Amino acid sequence: MVAHPRRPTPPLAALVVASFVLLLARPVRAAVRFEGLLRPNELVWCGDQEGGGPYVYPADDDPNRVIGFEVDLADRIGGALGLKASFSQGQWDKMPELLRTRKCDIVLNGYEWMPSRLESMEASIPYYIYGLQLLARSDGDVKRWVDLERPASAGPRKIGVLVGSAAEQYLTQHLGGRVEIVSYDGSTDAMREVETRKLDATLQDTPAAIFYRSRFAALSFVGQPVGRGYYVVYARKGATQLVRAVNEGLADLIRSGKIETLYRSYGIWDDSQRELVTLADAGRFYGYPPTSLAPQDPATPAAGPSIALSAKKHGFDVVLAYGLVLLQSAGLTVVLSCLSFPIAVTLGLLVALGRLYGPRFLKVPLGVYVEFLRGTPVMLQLYFIFFFLPEVGINVPAFWTAIVGLSVNYSAYESEIYRAGLLAVPRGQMEAALALGMSRPLALRRIIVPQAVRIVIPPVVNDFIALFKDTSVCSVVTLVELTKRFSVLSQSTQATAELMIMTGVLYLAMSYPLSVMARRLELGLARVSA
Amino acid sequence: MIEVRGLYKRHGTLEVLRDVSFSVERGKVAAVIGPSGSGKSTLLRCINGLERFERGEVRVGELVLVPDASSRAGAAVLAAVRKKVGFVFQQFNLFPHLDVLGNIIEAPVHVLGKSRKEAEADAEQLLARVDLSAKTRAFPHQLSGGQQQRVAIARALAMHPDVLLFDEPTSALDPLMASEVMSVISSLAKAGQTMVVVTHQLGLVRAVADTVHVFAEATRVEHGPTESVFAEPQHETTRAFLRKLAEW
Repeated sequence: MVAHPRRPTPPLAALVVASFVLLLARPVRAAVRFEGLLRPNELVWCGDQEGGGPYVYPADDDPNRVIGFEVDLADRIGGALGLKASFSQGQWDKMPELLRTRKCDIVLNGYEWMPSRLESMEASIPYYIYGLQLLARSDGDVKRWVDLERPASAGPRKIGVLVGSAAEQYLTQHLGGRVEIVSYDGSTDAMREVETRKLDATLQDTPAAIFYRSRFAALSFVGQPVGRGYYVVYARKGATQLVRAVNEGLADLIRSGKIETLYRSYGIWDDSQRELVTLADAGRFYGYPPTSLAPQDPATPAAGPSIALSAKKHGFDVVLAYGLVLLQSAGLTVVLSCLSFPIAVTLGLLVALGRLYGPRFLKVPLGVYVEFLRGTPVMLQLYFIFFFLPEVGINVPAFWTAIVGLSVNYSAYESEIYRAGLLAVPRGQMEAALALGMSRPLALRRIIVPQAVRIVIPPVVNDFIALFKDTSVCSVVTLVELTKRFSVLSQSTQATAELMIMTGVLYLAMSYPLSVMARRLELGLARVSA
Repeated sequence: MIEVRGLYKRHGTLEVLRDVSFSVERGKVAAVIGPSGSGKSTLLRCINGLERFERGEVRVGELVLVPDASSRAGAAVLAAVRKKVGFVFQQFNLFPHLDVLGNIIEAPVHVLGKSRKEAEADAEQLLARVDLSAKTRAFPHQLSGGQQQRVAIARALAMHPDVLLFDEPTSALDPLMASEVMSVISSLAKAGQTMVVVTHQLGLVRAVADTVHVFAEATRVEHGPTESVFAEPQHETTRAFLRKLAEW
């Protein structure tokens, strides 16, 4: 709430007017200034579309738009706070980092309440109470939980889980060592693997299990959900004002029954959700201050529209539905490669020249530069720029992080190629240039480098093609390029085969013309310099 | 024109030049002969600063090269010397990515700052002089060895050097192509171009050289006017060398 400036003892009339205004203002909440919002009047919330339904997933009619119960929830929380909720894509396991480095205001994406997470983040009251549902093939021999353990002679059962999830923790804690736990990036990957018999079972959060049940007809629920837990909203450490406001917004949604309507429309409401009301009424959750609202009688929820999973698409329908959005992501892949590679080549040439012909004091640092960048994964370097540099006050946006990361990383490889190319130019060329009175820099620029460039064309083009594919690591810095888009769509639609073929064709359509062009260029230059 | 005094150079413990003195006057042609490894090429490379030396000095006109050429002043002298001294290599060393005209105008345009037009006009004249007017737009790999070497000579001449150094210009060529190159060098000699020619080709020496300098084991063992050295060789190396070449 807004703090009102203190006034000198007001006359009665003014007091009446003031309280009237306050009464009027009550239903429409004024935008509150919260500590450290990314953008004024916006609540930037982070989710990963790759996690799939019913949380956050691409809409069927427009794959560029996200839908899901968390999208609706975010809109309503934003509304309660007088802020516009805007979605920000991030990799699920990187969300605490995204929050810490101020890439979003809150995390709202099936993040479980865990004591360990409270050390680095503030948690709201729960917005959903989930269980862990075991799923296995209907025709398989896992009918009860106890069937998961079998004699050592038969080998341990394989159980798929979402990487870093509560399900993974639960299994490690209760069956660790007696079953083999296999981690996946998306929930439906594991479900498919059970269907194709590579896994014996999968343990899923109830919303995903319920939502995707229709897609995996061969699977059935095994026993009751176990390991009850809470999904909460996380905010940056110290953002207590924001968390308090989120709590009030949530409490309001829970008590008014609006959240029940919302969850019912996704088919994920069950009796255990009634505890949400108790928690909201208690107004406290693990040490957070009570909300200012008094307890109410739970309202009867209004009936809402039902949001169910649409029928699975096949064949050409997939191409029609997702071709355009894949093409757009391919566009990002092209832009990333075509911007970063020329920088990488230029930087690489300068580094190679410095190492071969530069002053002595440059040689060691340049050697270290090359070895360091070649010897560490590009993913780690992107991570460093995106998540570490903000700590020292350098905030590079995701797109430019990708450009800088890729071009600097590739410059190390290019410099080695150039070094070989420069050394392959016969010594006599430099001598002839010097004998004609050229200075060393002029001889390099006019005589040596042009010849080296011709020599290195094949390996350089090869690297360019490699870079095209390496752009896929940029999903760690929240960019949705072609590969990430493929994963996202594949998780939510299960039309994996069609999407895989389309993605492959798109990559090929980008790299093959390059190969052809390179060969032409090579032939053309060979004619000149054989 | 060129005056070399007390030149001493070694690679590690191997002496490559031992107190060599040598000179050539303006408008004259000096031939340097001797067995392989006797230091002839190294002397040539010291004259235009492609090699450093430990002691002695090299004088080109007013310019003096001294052992320590790494200083700023030394580098300036080196640059000035290279503009005055042209060099023709055994392996031609044409720039493969440039055509014939490009090879010839490269240095005039980028070192002397001539206009492209002026440089090209000059290049056309030089190509006529080496009898290659038809090959202006050819690339080096499209030319025979003899043609390449003649382009290399034209390229060196384009800087209008005071002295032209030839490092075994015909050794990589078959006899027919060698004679093309030799006739070009002869015509330059007639035109009064100062030259130093390191060669094994006795015919070339007889045709162009005013003086002959015989090298053996890192030093100059005999020198004098061409006719007298050939008629009455004083040193055993010279005699052996002449005998050997005559057998060819």
